[in-house]
Amino acid sequence: MQSLLSVLLRPRLLSTLQGIKPGKKKGNRWRIFIFIFIGAVFWLGAFIIFFRILNYFQSVEGFGDILALRLLSMIVITFFTLLLFSNIINSLSHLYLSRDLSLLHSLPVPAKDIFISRWLVSAFDSSWMVILFSFPVFLSYGMIYQAGAGFYFLSFAGMVFLCLIAAAISSILVMLGAVILPAGKIRSLFIVLGVALAILLVLVLRIIRPEQLVNPQTFASVVIYLNSLQALDAAYLPTTWISDVVSAALKGDWKFSLFSIALSASFAFSLIFINESIAKASYFRGFSRAQTTAKRLFYPVTLGNYNWDALLNFLSPAAKAFAVKEIKTFFRDSTQWPQLFLICALIVIYLYNFSVLPLEKSPVNIIYLQNVFSFLNMGLAAFVLSAIAARFVFPAVSMESEAFWIIQAAPVSIKTFLWIKFFLYYIPLLIVSEILIIVSNLLLGVAPFIMALSIITIFCLVPAIVAMAIGLGARYPDFKSENPAMAATSFGGLLFMLCSFALIAAVIIIEAGPVYYTFMADVHGRNLSLMHVVRLIASFSFAFLLCIFAVFYPMHIGEKHLSKT
Amino acid sequence: MIELINLTKDYGTVLAVNNLNLRVATGEIYGFIGPNGAGKTTTIRMMGGIIEPTSGKVIISGIDMKEDPLRAKKIIGFVPDRPFLYEKLTGMEFLKFIADIYEVETNIITPRAQELLEKFALTDWAHEIIEAYSHGMKQRLIIAAALMHDPRVLVIDEPMVGLDPAAVRMVKDMLKNLSRQNVTIFVSTHTLSIAEDLCDRIGVIHKGALLAQGSIAELNLAARTGNAGLEEVFLTLIREA
Repeated sequence: MQSLLSVLLRPRLLSTLQGIKPGKKKGNRWRIFIFIFIGAVFWLGAFIIFFRILNYFQSVEGFGDILALRLLSMIVITFFTLLLFSNIINSLSHLYLSRDLSLLHSLPVPAKDIFISRWLVSAFDSSWMVILFSFPVFLSYGMIYQAGAGFYFLSFAGMVFLCLIAAAISSILVMLGAVILPAGKIRSLFIVLGVALAILLVLVLRIIRPEQLVNPQTFASVVIYLNSLQALDAAYLPTTWISDVVSAALKGDWKFSLFSIALSASFAFSLIFINESIAKASYFRGFSRAQTTAKRLFYPVTLGNYNWDALLNFLSPAAKAFAVKEIKTFFRDSTQWPQLFLICALIVIYLYNFSVLPLEKSPVNIIYLQNVFSFLNMGLAAFVLSAIAARFVFPAVSMESEAFWIIQAAPVSIKTFLWIKFFLYYIPLLIVSEILIIVSNLLLGVAPFIMALSIITIFCLVPAIVAMAIGLGARYPDFKSENPAMAATSFGGLLFMLCSFALIAAVIIIEAGPVYYTFMADVHGRNLSLMHVVRLIASFSFAFLLCIFAVFYPMHIGEKHLSKT
Repeated sequence: MIELINLTKDYGTVLAVNNLNLRVATGEIYGFIGPNGAGKTTTIRMMGGIIEPTSGKVIISGIDMKEDPLRAKKIIGFVPDRPFLYEKLTGMEFLKFIADIYEVETNIITPRAQELLEKFALTDWAHEIIEAYSHGMKQRLIIAAALMHDPRVLVIDEPMVGLDPAAVRMVKDMLKNLSRQNVTIFVSTHTLSIAEDLCDRIGVIHKGALLAQGSIAELNLAARTGNAGLEEVFLTLIREA
C-alpha cells in the first residue's frame, strides 16, 4: 500500500504536471519559454550584480573578506525574513483557507497526515524561488573564492535547512494564531502581517541608510558600519549557523562547516517534530474554528443618513454600481491588505530617500545631477506604478472570478465593463503617481522644465499602463483561481510587466535626447535651434502616440477575448 | 416569448447543441429536461447571452440576442445552475448592485429589495456578507436578484438545487404566479417531479438535439408510453434515442 502522504500529495503533483504538459493548451510552449527566459534574465542579472560587488570588495584592502562575509550574513537574513513571511501567508492559506480542505478532512485520513502534506506543499511553494535565486549568489562567492564542489553542496544543503526552519517556525506561529484568534477571524492574521511587514521594511531600510552609499566621504564609515553589525551574528540564530556553513566551506574549514550544518539540520528536524506534535494537538481544532461564518472585520461608519457612495452620484447608475461593488469588494478582502500596507511603506521610503540624498557632497555638478535624477525618477516612478498595476489592476478582471456570469448576463457591454474598471483604477493611480513625481521633484529641487516634463509624461504613461493591465488581464483572465490576485504571476502578468517595461523604456529613450538638448540650452542660456525644436516636437508626439496606442489596443484585444469567453 | 431557431453550439471537440428549434409562448412555463451533458446548460447560457451560438438565433420577445444583446438581456432574469456571487457584498448591496445595472428606478430599489428579501426569508441576513450565506441562501438570493428588475422572461437553470422544502414550495408558487402575470419562464431541471408539476410544456434534449416536446400527454404519445409519468416517458425517450 502506498503511504498516505504520497497519496495526499498526488493531486498537487498531477495538477502541476497537467499545467506544464506541452500541447495541452494552445501556446503552452511559448508560455513556458517566456517564463524560463524571464527567470534566466533575472538569475543572470543577480549573478552579475553579486559577482561585481564581491569583486569590488576584494579590491578594498584589508576589508575585502570582512565585507564579503558581512554581505553574506545580510543576504542569509534577508532570505530568512522573506521565507518567514511567505511561509506564514502560504501556510495560512494551505492549512486553513483552501477550498479542498473540506474534502480532505472528510476523508478517513488522520489530521496529522493532512497537516504534513499541506505543510510540505506550503514549504515548497514558499521556498523554491528563494533557493533558485540563492544559486547566483553562492556561484559568485564560489567563483571569487575559487571554491570546490563541497562548498556548493554545503551551501545548497544550508539553504534547504534554512527553508525548513522558516517553514516550521511559520506553521507553528500560524497554528497558535488559529487557536488564539476568535473563530471566523483567522483572516485578520493577514492584516497583522501586513502592518508588521510594512513597519519592518521601513525600519530595516532606515537602519541600513542606503543613501550613504552615494556619499564618497562616508565610505569609510559604511565599511565600519557593515563591520559593526555584530548583532547579525548572534550564536543562537539559525541564520548565523547557515552563514557559518557557507563561510567556513568557503575558507575550506570543513570541520566547522559540517558542525554548523549538523546544528541547522538537528534544529530543523526538532522543529518539524514540534510542529507535528502541535498539529496533533491543535491543527484540527484550529481548522474547525476557521470554518465558522466569516465575520466582517469592520463595519462602515455612517454619518446619519449620509453614505460615502453618494460621492459617486455623478456616475451613471451602472457605472456607480460597478464602482461601489469594486471598492467594497477590494477593501473587504483582507488578503489585499498586507500588500496595500507594503506599498504605502515603499512610497514613504521612496520619498524619504529623495529627501536625504546627499547630492551636495557629490563631485558631479549639482544642477546636472538633480535633473538627471529627476529624469530617471520618472522612469522609476513608472516602474513602481507598473508593479502596483501588476498586483492590483491586472487581476481586476480575474477578481470577478466565477461570478463573471453576472457581467455576461447583465445588460452592460464587455467594453463598458472594461472601461469602468479602467477608470476605477486610473484615477487613484494617477493621483498616487503624480504625487510621487511632484513631491520627489520638489525634494530634488529640479528645473521647471523637468518638473513639467515629468508631470506630463506620467500623465500619459499612467492611462497606458492601467489600460495594458486591464486589457491583458481581460485577455488572460483566470476566473477559476482560488486566489485571483496570483494572476499577477501568471503568463499574462509577466507579459504585462514586459510590455509595460518596454513602453516605459521606449518613452524615456524617445524623450532623453530632446530633453538633454533643451535642458543644456536652458542651463547655458542658449536658444534651441530649429532642428532641435522639430526633433523635440516629433519625439514628444511619437511618445504621446505610443501611449495612446497602449491605451486602446490592449483594451480592444481584452474586449475581443472576453466577449468570446 | 422565446424563440430558438436552428441553434447550434460546437465547442470544437463536442457538438453541445445541434440545430435546436423551439418556441415558448408569452406566460408559458417551459421545462427543459435531459441527461447530464445533454446540452441544457449550454442552451440556457446561449439564451442568457453568456455564450455565443456557433450558428442559429436566440430571439427574446422579438429581440435578436446577437443583434441587440443589451436590450435582450435587460428583459431577462437569469439564474445560473451554481450560485456564484460577489462574496464580499452583503445581500442588500448585491440586490442594489443588480438593480443599478438593470437601471431600475432609484426610488423603488430599496422597497423592492426589502420585499424580495422578505419573500425569500433573507431579511435577517440582508446586511451580512454573502460569504457567510449557506448554499441554499445564495440560491434564494440569486433568484431574488433575477426578479429585481421585473423581467419579462425568466431563464432558470436548476432552480431548486440546495433549497429547503419550504423554499421549493415558495419558488414553485412564485413561478406559477409570474406565469399568470405573463412572464415567460424557461426552466432546466433534473427534478422530474418539479417539471411535471410546474411546466405547461416540457422539452427533452439528448446529445444536443430535441427528442420531443409538449405536454405530458403529448410526450406520452411521442414515447408510446400510454399514460405513464414523466420519469417513465423520459427514460423511454432517452433509451430509444
